[in-house]
Amino acid sequence: MTTTKEPRRAKAPALPSVAPAGQAEEPRIPDPLELDAAATAPRPEYYGFDIVPPPDRPPQTEREREIYTLGDGEMLVNMGPQHPSTHGVMRLVLKVRGEVVIDLDPVLGYLHRGIEKLCENATYTTVMTYVDPMDYMSAMHNEHAPAIAFEKLYGIKAPRRAEYIRALVVELNRVFSHGLMMGFLALDMGGLTPILYSFINRDQVVDLLSAISGQRMLFNFFRVGGVNFDVNDEFLSRLGTWRAGVLDTIEMNEKILTENEIFGARTKGMGVLSGQQAIDLGVSGPNLRASGVPFDVRRAHPYSIYPELEFEVITQEGGDTYARYLQRVAELKQSIHLIDQIVDRMPHGPVQAQVPGIIRPRPGRAYAAVESPRGLYSVYAISDGGPNPYRFRMRDPSFISLQVLPKLMPGHLIADTMAVMASFDPIMGGVDK
Amino acid sequence: MGHLRRPRSRAALLGRRRPLTAPASAGPLVRLLTDRFAGTVTDLWTDEDTVEVQVPGDQIVFTLRTLRDDPDFAFFFLADAAAVDYGVGNRFEVVYHLHSDRHPTWLRVRVRVNRENPVTPSVTSLWEGAMFHEREMYDMMGIVFEGNRDLRRIYMSPDYRSFPQRKDFLLPDDAADSPSAGNRPLERPETWDLTRLGDAAAHRDEPGGPL
Repeated sequence: MTTTKEPRRAKAPALPSVAPAGQAEEPRIPDPLELDAAATAPRPEYYGFDIVPPPDRPPQTEREREIYTLGDGEMLVNMGPQHPSTHGVMRLVLKVRGEVVIDLDPVLGYLHRGIEKLCENATYTTVMTYVDPMDYMSAMHNEHAPAIAFEKLYGIKAPRRAEYIRALVVELNRVFSHGLMMGFLALDMGGLTPILYSFINRDQVVDLLSAISGQRMLFNFFRVGGVNFDVNDEFLSRLGTWRAGVLDTIEMNEKILTENEIFGARTKGMGVLSGQQAIDLGVSGPNLRASGVPFDVRRAHPYSIYPELEFEVITQEGGDTYARYLQRVAELKQSIHLIDQIVDRMPHGPVQAQVPGIIRPRPGRAYAAVESPRGLYSVYAISDGGPNPYRFRMRDPSFISLQVLPKLMPGHLIADTMAVMASFDPIMGGVDK
Repeated sequence: MGHLRRPRSRAALLGRRRPLTAPASAGPLVRLLTDRFAGTVTDLWTDEDTVEVQVPGDQIVFTLRTLRDDPDFAFFFLADAAAVDYGVGNRFEVVYHLHSDRHPTWLRVRVRVNRENPVTPSVTSLWEGAMFHEREMYDMMGIVFEGNRDLRRIYMSPDYRSFPQRKDFLLPDDAADSPSAGNRPLERPETWDLTRLGDAAAHRDEPGGPL
């Protein structure tokens, strides 16, 4: 492949200059030979993607200089921010030699809304509405962590039935998030069928959650000291229907993917992340457990009713894309098992503690972490005694997980970039806050 | 600029210490910390599932390395690194949350950073994953991490000139401009001074106040 630092352009014939006032200029008739030369001039090769020149400002850091300095036979290729499979609005600048990725620079911030700052200007109750659209695939987890943190600050506990309902909706949310990940992973490798099967399951779960919370995606369901609504008849009847068929819909996807030879060739041995490397890079959740590290916040720092539920921390050996896929499938089934336990054991009682309309906790600090489908999602909240948090910090797992891409991608083909990235299941709403 | 919310003046209260009440599960960790870091670690404080300490800025890399590599501590996982702004004339703080399989609690390590000259050592030499945390803190708060080899803005564009999460970066308050401004206690300018709002009893009978 030819080395191309800047696209070579065919020289267009010069435009006739504007005649000075008072002087008539003869209209210049372009020479036909000249036009021919322009048409047959070498044109930039079309690679199917944009070639970006290095930025025209001096590099700010050592690392930026390293990425944007081109060696022999290397070029920069832009991917995104409107690429259909970047899981949101994200831009990757790939440094490639031929079709092999040498280095990679994630460029973030296209979806940055400043949610932390907005939450610091909202009351404790209205914070729940702001955190929903962060990681929109796991909005229930987004609400769970602030709810726990604010309850610690305020010194109250949710009733036991509320804790059970919380665990129920959170596990339901995990089921649809992991189910969609199976579909999106296949979609990024060109398989269209699994995503359609995933959406059967996903739509059922979303209908379930809207039956209990009134909203399909941005639930606004958790309250400081409880949840917004109790379970109702519609929810329970839908839950029964869903539970009867969910394993079948998952099995349809598994039959397509797990033993599939093409899927195996595209995932096995791709993007191998060792356990130590994953810990160093701050990777958490299913991605960390797929590398063999048994760290699950539900077991390590138990919250809600998880100490009472029976489940084991699942791990995989490989650490590659395929292991991360298998990990999601195993956790999906584990979540269904947990939902069975929660429904069986759900106690009676109130679902909301007595809490004033505007909460003013004592000055203090609280940290709360939950296990979201993408990993450790945590909130660090500081109260100064006022009606809104003085500092509200959210740690989003997919934001931190993106750091592995520059470590994993060198040596892989451009086509595998999306497959490896999809196996980490990042959601840009959470990455950009 | 009267419609802008005033910066809060209550930061001094946040440093108020509570007496050490260690739950039984946190006991071994508290003892270990007081034994090993007798000279450096201060302001020990515990929560139901967190042990909190404060470390001077020049000791942070050494302390975190010991906490990570010493098998008695084994805090191998950096769960979170966040920056807190305590207001103009006060200080910044960088807060690290660590996880260990040997101890049932989170460990929170706080480091003070001078607000006029916000420079603090980078911990990317210990955890590469601190890179995005530090880039975010630099972008949002303007804290410079010495030793970080990629300290660029991460959310805002490279030519952006301000630090949006500092407390002196104000958001216009829509409620204060609305026709109904002044109907609820939070929208009255005199209540924006939160030293008065902290006294919940004074607002007990007002609409929108505590029940």
